[in-house]
Formats: sequence, structure tokens, C-alpha cells
Amino acid sequence: MFTMGIDIGSSSSKVVILEDGLNIIAAEVIQIGTGSTGPKRVLDEALSKSGLKLQDMAKIIATGYGRSSVEESHKQISEISCQAKGVFFLVPSAKTIIDIGGQDVKAIKLDSKGCVKQFFMNDKCAAGTGRFLDVMSRVLEVSLNEMAEYDSRATEPATVSSTCTVFAESEVISQLANGVAKENIIAGVHQSVASKACGLAYRCGVEEDIVMCGGVAKDLGVVRAISKELKKPVIVAPNPQTTAALGAAIFAFDEVIGANK
Amino acid sequence: MSRIETIISELSSISNNPKKAMEDYKKETGKGAVGVMPYYAPEEIIHAAGLLPVGIWGGQKSISKARAFLPPFACSIMQSVMEMQLEGVYDNLEAILFPVPCDTLKCLSQKWKGTSPVIVFTHPQNRKLEAANKFLAEEYRLVREKLERILDVKITDEALTKSIDIYNENRKVMREFVDIAAAYPQIIDPIKRHAIIKARSFMEKSKHTAMVKELNSELKSLPVEDFTGKRVVLTGIMAEPNEVLEILKENGFAVVADDLAQESRQFRNDVPLGPDPLYRLAKWWQEFDGCSLATDAKKSRGPMLIDTVKSSKADAVVVCMMKFCDPEEFDYPIYYRQFEEAGIKSLFIEIDLETTSFEQTKTRVQSFSEML
Ligand SMILES: Nc1ncnc2c1ncn2[C@@H]1O[C@H](COP(=O)(O)OP(=O)(O)O)[C@@H](O)[C@H]1O
Ligand code: SF4
Ligand SMILES: [Mg+2]
Repeated sequence: MFTMGIDIGSSSSKVVILEDGLNIIAAEVIQIGTGSTGPKRVLDEALSKSGLKLQDMAKIIATGYGRSSVEESHKQISEISCQAKGVFFLVPSAKTIIDIGGQDVKAIKLDSKGCVKQFFMNDKCAAGTGRFLDVMSRVLEVSLNEMAEYDSRATEPATVSSTCTVFAESEVISQLANGVAKENIIAGVHQSVASKACGLAYRCGVEEDIVMCGGVAKDLGVVRAISKELKKPVIVAPNPQTTAALGAAIFAFDEVIGANK
Repeated sequence: MSRIETIISELSSISNNPKKAMEDYKKETGKGAVGVMPYYAPEEIIHAAGLLPVGIWGGQKSISKARAFLPPFACSIMQSVMEMQLEGVYDNLEAILFPVPCDTLKCLSQKWKGTSPVIVFTHPQNRKLEAANKFLAEEYRLVREKLERILDVKITDEALTKSIDIYNENRKVMREFVDIAAAYPQIIDPIKRHAIIKARSFMEKSKHTAMVKELNSELKSLPVEDFTGKRVVLTGIMAEPNEVLEILKENGFAVVADDLAQESRQFRNDVPLGPDPLYRLAKWWQEFDGCSLATDAKKSRGPMLIDTVKSSKADAVVVCMMKFCDPEEFDYPIYYRQFEEAGIKSLFIEIDLETTSFEQTKTRVQSFSEML
């Protein structure tokens, strides 16, 4: 039996197809999110790669910022519940989840059964989010994929504000103008992202294991900075951008099973 | 329309249109209105003068002109109050009563941009001392004098005592309403509840009392139905705009009690008995606890909220954090920890009167309902 989770975020669209609640048949990402062609494209891609049809899905659950606009779905569940579900499936020892997506940062606390005990989200400001990294990557002319590598060569991280993206951008531009090495600026950018995320994690209460997910978890520079700030190891969820979609597919499976009982 | 629906719709339209409420009052009585800034001004003095006290609570608004006068991190409600001042919204008020229990209000009181005369007074923060009570009674005496001068009326002790009685009666009826409403969430949804309570900011209190009293008895005559949603207590300055309450409703939440400065904090205590009406009004402030604006070395807000959760059989607390309100932000970590210790779940949402996008609030509320 197949179920599908669709996670339409602010910055990317993700689909996971799950077989019998256990095997991941497809996990696709398109790096554009709600309101774009991303949702349709990622759906087509997941289906064509798996050789399955929409009708093969016993249940489809949508999540993410654009969850209510997914016509194919039978139900929608918030991304906080879905992240928790997906991450716990992959890392059953997870107690604290840090999810950094395109425009939000979330800290989620789990109990030993993987249920959400508490969560905190950032306010509307884009500081500390994926968008913040996107802006910095453009200003610095360093691609997102290269950010971690630059960071690892830093000798003296620069100071980058964590309160406002616009302000931080002009800070970075003036540091560039003053000849500060990109490596050091990028390490500063990562620290700034980390301080925002850790602020939320502290509110939640930090308990190990700590797992990171969301697109920004692919930037190991951020992961290192968070680990350094929390003074604790941080696990990156496998395929971290698709964990919420996975969680949605698991929820869909659980519902089908429950309905069959 | 049933009597219940009629009363709710009348109160809702008053709460949505304070301007019309003022005009109607003028038509009926020939008398004007006096603005009441938050928080905890002795409205009874205005009432005793025969004028209509009108609460000033800002409104849902995009902010532009106010930017020239306020720092970007001034709280959302005062941004909107400033914007409305600059638009002349408050200029038809005969006077404005302006307490200054937080820094933002203290600064704002010194730069009122409207044309109405402003009467500023101070709530003492060493509240539990007898001297503080005397000081505040003296402040209120000055408020009364200034009002008498501006309005050209005499405010007697007798009139004041009568007004206090009218207000205490309203407080009692409002406390009853809050309890009754909790039993009928199918009828009194979060939006209606808020409107019924907010209407008291724009109505002559005995009139409001009469309507709510009738509503209470109509409600009580109905059978109590099972409620399958979740029951929450709101805390904070206020829970506006309505979109926020709408999201709570959509996700199956009922508001069974509150600790909002705009709502229950105003009527959970009566003005105590005593011979001197001004001293009595001042004593209210001395006895009042559990509010970020009233210094409280014992920090009793958390325990009080925990009691409210228990007595109202609530499932959780929703923290309605006014954006950039420092007193409320300072209180939060203290009562949050007390909640954690007591095993009480809470949700943090941001109240921003300027915003038109509620996706974040939706995600938080939906996640919370899935979590409970
Ligand atoms: N290869 C990558 N390396 C580093 N960061 C990445 C990479 N791909 C995406 N990101 C970051 O992930 C963010 C999107 O995260 P995602 O969890 O997909 O967001 P959402 O769920 O809000 O749409 C982007 O803004 C970008 O900064
Ligand atoms: S108490 Fe908070 S919301 Fe109210 S005026 Fe002061 S800072 Fe603003
Ligand atoms: Mg996401």
C-alpha cells in the first residue's frame, strides 16, 4: 500500500511516497515553493520516478506553509506535527528538533514516544532563516552548496547581526568592502543563524538527541555553529529537506491502518 | 432572530463601531465622551460626570504617519493609537484620561498629537503600602478636578459612589458571563465572546450590564451540550484582531476564561467598600494582582493562571503576546516556567495589529491543536 506526503513550503516543494509505512519509494524536492509551479512539478517527478499514479495512493496528506492549497490531498496536518513524525521515524532517539526552512525557524520538543511536547517558531522576521542565507549567498557570490566549505576555512568569524536581515546584509556588504575574508564573513553568517535558532531551542528546553532538518540543515556550517552554541552534538536528519513530507506520508499510512481496524 | 442573537449582534456592532456608539450617546443624553487610555483608569469618575467613557484600544491598521514619532520597536497597539491620533480619530473626545503604567505610555503621554486635552496621572508601583493608596487617591482627586474644569461639571462624592456601584454590578455580571459563556461554546464562540466583552469599553455601563444580564439568563435556560473541541485560557494585553480569534475557532478552540488586560483583568476585582470613593478607587489598584503592569514581587500571575486553568477546566493557555510589549515579554519566562512545572501546556502567538497575514498564527494554532 502506498501513501504520499506533500510538503509545500515557502521556498521548496517536497513529495515523499511511502510503501507500507516503511519504505521510502520516492523523496523529491523542487527548490521553489507555494504559489509556483513547484508543487505540480515535484508531484509529477515523484510519480514518474516511482512509476506510480496518483490513484495508487491510499491516502495523501499535505503539510507546510502552502498546505491548504494542495488539491490532491485528502487532509492537511501542520508541519510541526509532520516534522516530528518524520524525524522520529528516522532518528527515534530525537528529543529536540531544529527545523530551519525558507522563512521560518522552529524548535520542537519531543517526548520519548515522539509526540510534540512543546514548540516555538520565529516571529515574522526573516533573520536566521533560509531566506537570510539566500540573501547572503547572493551578496557574497558563494553558492549555498559551498557555504560550509568556506566556513571550515574561517580563521576569525566576523560579527553578523541576528536581528534583521536587511541590517545584516548591509553589515556584510561593508565588511566585504573593508576586505574581510569571505570565509570569516560566512562563519559569522552561520553564527548569526545559529543564535536565532538556539534562542528558540533554549525556550523549548534543549534535550539530546538534537536533530536538525529543513533545507538549511544541508548547510553543515550552520549545523556546526548550532552544535557549538549548544555545546552538544547535533545530528542531521537523513535527507533533511524531506522530513516533513515523510512525516505526512507516515500520518497518511497511520490513518489508513486505523481506518482498516 | 432569537433574543440571544439580537443581543449579541447589538453588542457586536457597538464593539465594532465605537464612533457610532459615541454619536448615539450624544443624541440620547446631549453629552459627549471622554477617552480612556489603557490601563486601569478610574472610569467611574467620568461616568459620575455624566459623560461616556470610551476605551482607546487602537485598531487593525497599517502604520505610516506614526513612524515619524515612534521607534519601530514601540508596541503594536501604541503604533496604531498614534496613527489614529494623527488621523484625528480621537479629536471629538472632550478629554482623554491617560495612565502611564509602562514606559511606552509614559513617553507617549508626553506627545499626544490629537487636539483633546489630556489628563495624565500615575499609578504608584510600590502598591502595597498605605502611602501608595493615599498617593493614588490624591492623583484621582486631581483627575477629578481637571475633569470638572475641562467639562465644566461638578463631580460629587455621591455621584461617584453611585457610579462605583454601577461599575461593580457590571463587573459581577461580566464575571458571571465569562463563566456561563464557557459552558456554551457552541453559541458564544471566541469572536462573539470578545465582542460582548469589548462592547463595555464603549457603553454606559448600566446599559451594558442590563444587556449582558439578559444574555446570561437566556443562555442559562438552554441545555448544556457536549463540547468536543479544546478549552483554552487567553492571557496577554488583548486578543485582536478578529482573524486571530477566527483561527482559534476554526481549529476547534473555545475560550473558557481569560487574563487579558482588555477583558477580565478589568473586572475580576470589584472596587472595595469604604467611606471615601476616591480612596476606594485607589484601593482597587492596591488589591489588583497578576498583571504585568502592576508591580508584584510575588509574581502571582503564573499561580493565578494555573488556578484559572483548573477552575475553568481548561486544556491549555494561549499566550497572546502583544508585539514589542516589554512588560508582557518580561513576565512571560516567569509564568512559562511555572506552567512547565505544573504540567500546563501553552501556546505563544504574536499579536500584531498591523499585520494582514495570519499564516504563522494558523500554523501555530493548528500545530497546538494537534499537540493537545
Ligand atoms: N544545498 C543546500 N545547501 C544549503 N542550504 C540549502 C540548500 N538547499 C536549500 N537550502 C536552504 O534551504 C532553504 C529552504 O528550506 P526548506 O526546508 O525547503 O524551506 P520551506 O520548507 O520553508 O520551503 C533555502 O532558503 C536555502 O537557504
Ligand atoms: S503595556 Fe505593553 S502593549 Fe501596553 S502600552 Fe505598554 S508596552 Fe504597549
Ligand atoms: Mg518547511
